[in-house]
Amino acid sequence: MGDTLTYLKKQIRENIQTYAIILAMVLIWILFSFLTEGRYAGSQNISNLFRQMTVTALLAVGMVLVIVTGNIDLSVGKLAGFVSVVVAKFQDDIWFQYLPNKPVLTTILSVLIGIGVGTIFEVIQGYLVAYLRVPSFIVSLGGMWVLTGGILVITEGKTIAANQPLFSYIAQGYLPQTAGWIAAGIVIVILFFTMFQNRRNRVKYGFSVTPLVLDILKTIFLSALMAVYVYIVNQYNGVQVPVLLLAITAVVMSYVSTNTPVGRYAYAIGGNREAARLSGVNIKKNIFNVFMLMGLLCGVSGVVLASYVGYGTIAAGSGYELDAIASCILGGTSTLGGIGTIFGAIIGSLIMASLSSGLQMLNVPAAWQYILRGFVLILAVYADVYLKKK
Amino acid sequence: MPNEIILDIQNVTKQFPGVIALKDVSIKINRGEIHGICGENGAGKSTLMMILKGVHPWGSYEGKINYDDEELKLENRSIRQASDAGIAIVYQELTLVPNMTVGENVFLGREPKDHIGINWNKLYADTQKILDKYNLDIDANALVKNLGVGKMQMTEIAKALSEDAKILILDEPTSALTDAEIDRLMEILENLKSHGVTCIYITHKLPELFRITDSITVLRDGKVITTQPTSDLNEGMLIKHMVGREMKERFPKGKRKPGEEILSVEDLHAVDPNETSKEIVKGVDLNLREGEILGIAGLMGSGRTELVSTLFGEYGKITHGKVILEGQEISVSSANDAMKKGISLVPEDRKRYGLVLIQSVQKNISLANLDQFSTWYQIDFNAELNASDTFAQKLAIKAPNLSVLCQTLSGGNQQKVVIAKWLMSNPKILIMDDPTRGIDVGAKYEIYKLMNQLAEEGIAIIMISSELEEVIGMSDRIMVMSEGRSMGTLDKDKINQEKIMQLATGLA
Repeated sequence: MGDTLTYLKKQIRENIQTYAIILAMVLIWILFSFLTEGRYAGSQNISNLFRQMTVTALLAVGMVLVIVTGNIDLSVGKLAGFVSVVVAKFQDDIWFQYLPNKPVLTTILSVLIGIGVGTIFEVIQGYLVAYLRVPSFIVSLGGMWVLTGGILVITEGKTIAANQPLFSYIAQGYLPQTAGWIAAGIVIVILFFTMFQNRRNRVKYGFSVTPLVLDILKTIFLSALMAVYVYIVNQYNGVQVPVLLLAITAVVMSYVSTNTPVGRYAYAIGGNREAARLSGVNIKKNIFNVFMLMGLLCGVSGVVLASYVGYGTIAAGSGYELDAIASCILGGTSTLGGIGTIFGAIIGSLIMASLSSGLQMLNVPAAWQYILRGFVLILAVYADVYLKKK
Repeated sequence: MPNEIILDIQNVTKQFPGVIALKDVSIKINRGEIHGICGENGAGKSTLMMILKGVHPWGSYEGKINYDDEELKLENRSIRQASDAGIAIVYQELTLVPNMTVGENVFLGREPKDHIGINWNKLYADTQKILDKYNLDIDANALVKNLGVGKMQMTEIAKALSEDAKILILDEPTSALTDAEIDRLMEILENLKSHGVTCIYITHKLPELFRITDSITVLRDGKVITTQPTSDLNEGMLIKHMVGREMKERFPKGKRKPGEEILSVEDLHAVDPNETSKEIVKGVDLNLREGEILGIAGLMGSGRTELVSTLFGEYGKITHGKVILEGQEISVSSANDAMKKGISLVPEDRKRYGLVLIQSVQKNISLANLDQFSTWYQIDFNAELNASDTFAQKLAIKAPNLSVLCQTLSGGNQQKVVIAKWLMSNPKILIMDDPTRGIDVGAKYEIYKLMNQLAEEGIAIIMISSELEEVIGMSDRIMVMSEGRSMGTLDKDKINQEKIMQLATGLA
């Protein structure tokens, strides 16, 4: 038991920032639940809250790596917006002309086109930043304006409908209750399988393993958390398709950031560019890759945005880049580079969404919502700076 | 008639935790003379300057400094107080703002003001007046970034003189200058002398001392060895004073047998890739055998680091000459390329170039070698940990575990992490640039032992060091560099400090 306690203490000490932010989020939820007499924690609100955050959370997931390498991307909001109007244009206009009455094919094509447009744009920006050494702040600021213009060109100032049933399912759909439980069941099996797999591998190398009880408890805890979530959202409409999409993306990107050379190099470049360079890391290629990943995610985010709103509008994606950056920062990403996690960014997004949802529910005027949001961001970062000094 | 002695340093002792930087130092500097101070790297020259500019304030050292017959009490760390008193310093690294004009730099922080703001006319007129008075050939309106290094230095001097400096301290002023610029500087100093300005001239370039100074003080290990009129000294005597000490048994004995030649460099010339007119390596020959430690000696700015980073493919652009590895001419395009060819570099300044301080020991060790245990889509963490651990144990890195951050380790252990990183790439040639700088004696000894061990295993080691004793103690042969050139290679039985110093100062 003594071992278990020291292990837990060590875990907490090493991940203090993660736990602090989760704690902050739980406190926010409890506070709003009190203020709204429980309505806030109701299944409908929880379901909507998670659904609302997906568009910016997808951007934040990509932004983490961009910031970790010591760069910034101000164009992602408008890029998602641009993708959304391009996709809406295809949905509403082009498919109607050339591929009528083929909803499955056209939806798949729309998604691919959206992801393609996002990726191509970031490939260009990434090339400018990594190989031509134009500062990312400038490239993406310029990119943002270009995209603002691009949106106007595509929409011609009008709103384009993108509310075809199958396409809408991407961001507005829900899994049937049983499917939700089956999905949860599969994930739980995978969780246990990887846990045992990891233990086996460590033993193979002769490393010590954490006590089996702890590993099992940890996995059970995660499984329970997910089961509770599925239970809550099933009370309403079921597991939300976009949230499922976000979860898959986050897991994949989390894997990329910690388990692949691309991710590892990104952190090394942000931590000490010179040391990384002298260690043979191809800095240009890596930064380029990170921007390309960002573009992929902008594409996904833009498709979800179009499907979520049901329209392509001239205001699409405005200000999302700042929400995404704020989510990363709230989640512990260092603006100096080298530090940050995908998980943190998701929690950061969730905090932002939780705040605005709670404030809306309390009928706080928009003006005060903005002011409070500003204070929270600054306060959170100050708390982080202050805690680190101690 | 004022006192003949303008600056009287009496019995100054300065201690840092664990080190005595200056020990009972007394120097008298006469009014209007040019007084040279020389010594090896680490002899205490810079500590003395830090005291004179107030970085180490009055009270943090023992002893007394009289300036114009009054005790000099620099109480705050700002150099403003020193320059108000009339002591001005021209630094080794230039401290000008490149995007400002000469005039703006000269009066930076002291701009003449009238009731609406800065009086630009007066500023430029005053600057021009100073430039003319001391015959400095620069335009007060020129942007500093457009000037050559020599003229930048003149600007620094003008800045010092504009503050009515009575004593001008020049710290290694010629390290970045061309011969013509050095000639010009010498003229300026003569001119200053005729205006009654006292100069303290710190350098390790002996010919300059004999050319310009009136008297010379030699520092060694924080002590004044001698102060004599320049006319009573010659270069041989000076070198003896600078290095004359016994070698202690600080270096472990190795029993290695150098084998076949593995690397040779023939008449290598290279330029700065960002400034192709600047030649950084100006003709280097060297050869290296398996299982040998080749020392590269040379003073700061002799081009040692430039040479090895060029060999590693990360700095200079080779314009002439050959690099031959195992009988084949090679060209190294990047660090990655160098590693593939079996060349590793433990860079100088581990915090800046060696480590990602905010990452764990394990991640730092594996950074250069991730492809050993990863595909593009996966790093095998267990294999990584296993390999890192093997090297951490081999090098006896003292850390609670491999997931602690590098910034929490001591200097010696940090250096071992850097070495571990480069050993993991399984090099044939290991270049170590000042591997023991800033680490304590015990850790140094461990690194020396490690170097012996590696050489015995057949790795060819090139070691750069600023400490002469260290190069002599560790090397089988020593190549001496001066101003980007290899001056010669000394065999073990012919190595002595005087000989190295002669080559390094460009005398032999």
